[in-house]
Amino acid sequence: MQPLANVTPLKPPPRAGAIEVRNVGQVFRTRSQDVVALEDVSLDIKPGRFVVLVGPSGCGKSTLLMMMAGLRAQTAGTITINGAPIPQPDPDRVGVVFQEASLFPWLTAEDNVEFPLALRGVAKPERRAKAQDALKLVGLEGFGKRHPHELSGGMKQRVSIARGLVQDPPVLLMDEPFAALDEQTRMTMGDELLRIWAATGKTVVFVTHSLTEAVYLADEVIVMSPRPGRIVDQLQVSLPRPRTYEMLSGDAFGALRDRIWRHIRKSA
Amino acid sequence: MSAKTLRHLIVIGLLVLWELLPRTGVIPELFLPSLSSTLLAGWNEAAEYGHALAVTLYEVAVSMAFACGGGILLGAIVGSLPRPRLLIMPMVSSLYAVPLVILYPVFTVWLGIGSESKIAFASIYGFLPTMLATAAGIQTIDPQLLLAARSMGATLSQRLVRVIIPAAIPTVLSGLRIGGALVIVGVVVSEMLISSAGIGYLISRYRTILDSPHVFAGVLLVLFMAIAFNTAIRWVERKAAIWQTGTRAGQGADEVGSGAMQPAT
Repeated sequence: MQPLANVTPLKPPPRAGAIEVRNVGQVFRTRSQDVVALEDVSLDIKPGRFVVLVGPSGCGKSTLLMMMAGLRAQTAGTITINGAPIPQPDPDRVGVVFQEASLFPWLTAEDNVEFPLALRGVAKPERRAKAQDALKLVGLEGFGKRHPHELSGGMKQRVSIARGLVQDPPVLLMDEPFAALDEQTRMTMGDELLRIWAATGKTVVFVTHSLTEAVYLADEVIVMSPRPGRIVDQLQVSLPRPRTYEMLSGDAFGALRDRIWRHIRKSA
Repeated sequence: MSAKTLRHLIVIGLLVLWELLPRTGVIPELFLPSLSSTLLAGWNEAAEYGHALAVTLYEVAVSMAFACGGGILLGAIVGSLPRPRLLIMPMVSSLYAVPLVILYPVFTVWLGIGSESKIAFASIYGFLPTMLATAAGIQTIDPQLLLAARSMGATLSQRLVRVIIPAAIPTVLSGLRIGGALVIVGVVVSEMLISSAGIGYLISRYRTILDSPHVFAGVLLVLFMAIAFNTAIRWVERKAAIWQTGTRAGQGADEVGSGAMQPAT
């Protein structure tokens, strides 16, 4: 189609979901010494991107995620989400999905999903409607009345994702969400997450130990090194979407995974 | 035959034995009066037993309120704050091992032989396990749950009401079950030792005049009281902690499953 003449191209409005990390550091003070957990980390995450943080244990990737969630304060630098700092958790801007077992076992799946809405006094009918939508989005329609112990590991994690999405925040932070799942479930959940991501257009920051998972899911992989935690590489994953299982055995995939592995082997 | 009907049969069998053994003279009536004479003795002195029961129930109710209220409150404080925990927990734990009944004579000196001394003794007796269980329940809450609640913007009071309390309920209830049972024990035992009213007092008095049917009528009443309490707690447990019983059942099923897979050796 021809571009319309005589129309001044408007600057696109800044889409919500941008994350800026500027020179962030974190020092844990213990009695004997100061441990530098993160040092001079800077990152620019554009709205709608799927970014994966990988690195060996102790590289501070989860710490960085907790800072983006407003759950922990950095000792140096600034983090902004939608252009504003995040001194405390703000579920309107950021949803967080943890490892398994962060669902409240005494609540049903739908009550778990409604929990963040209940905290802010949203009326019951509206809460229920939003929770139903979120459960439908993660493929759990009809499972709302079950308690967590009546759900499989993968289903529990779907409920967690629904809970993270129920307030429709532009950013979704995920801290090793599939670490406790078995291999098959993990693959399925990866595909599910990509489907949900494509449907909602959220910015996703995803922490994992699995290199395969990192390359399979990401637009961009951030590799971190431990003690002190800093960024050692940023890889753009240009594999086409939707990602498929066949890509896992392709050369491009292997090359990316090898490159990450070499960084991690060096620092481990 | 299901376990439940079997249990009922055992109870009925014991009741029948209770009637038959003394009647046939296998056991002298002085040691074990028959069920019917026990019930008859209770029936004949219904007013006296009724009055004694009222006194005992009053003492149990007040002690229960002190023991459970105080136990839950202090347990919550001790469980959530590290400093008082370090100070108090070792003391309370060792106090739990002391037979507190040795303190009862002291209470009668301080408070007289009326209801006050029983209430004081039974309250302390039931307070300790309730407090220990509450503290443990709060200490063992999964920190992930609190972190998740915080990430959803929960304030401190919201975390208390919506996370800490529901998460602690199952442990607290199991503490209440023990604490409440000990309150009943505390009241009845202290009545039997030094007092002028209550079921324990009746049992003790009839024992001194070797009136076995009346002693056993009192024993039956205490038994019913304990069973009623236990039933009440079980009902509350079922209402309040569906999720926990569910989890337990799930684990039980897993254990059975893994056991069944072991080779028969």
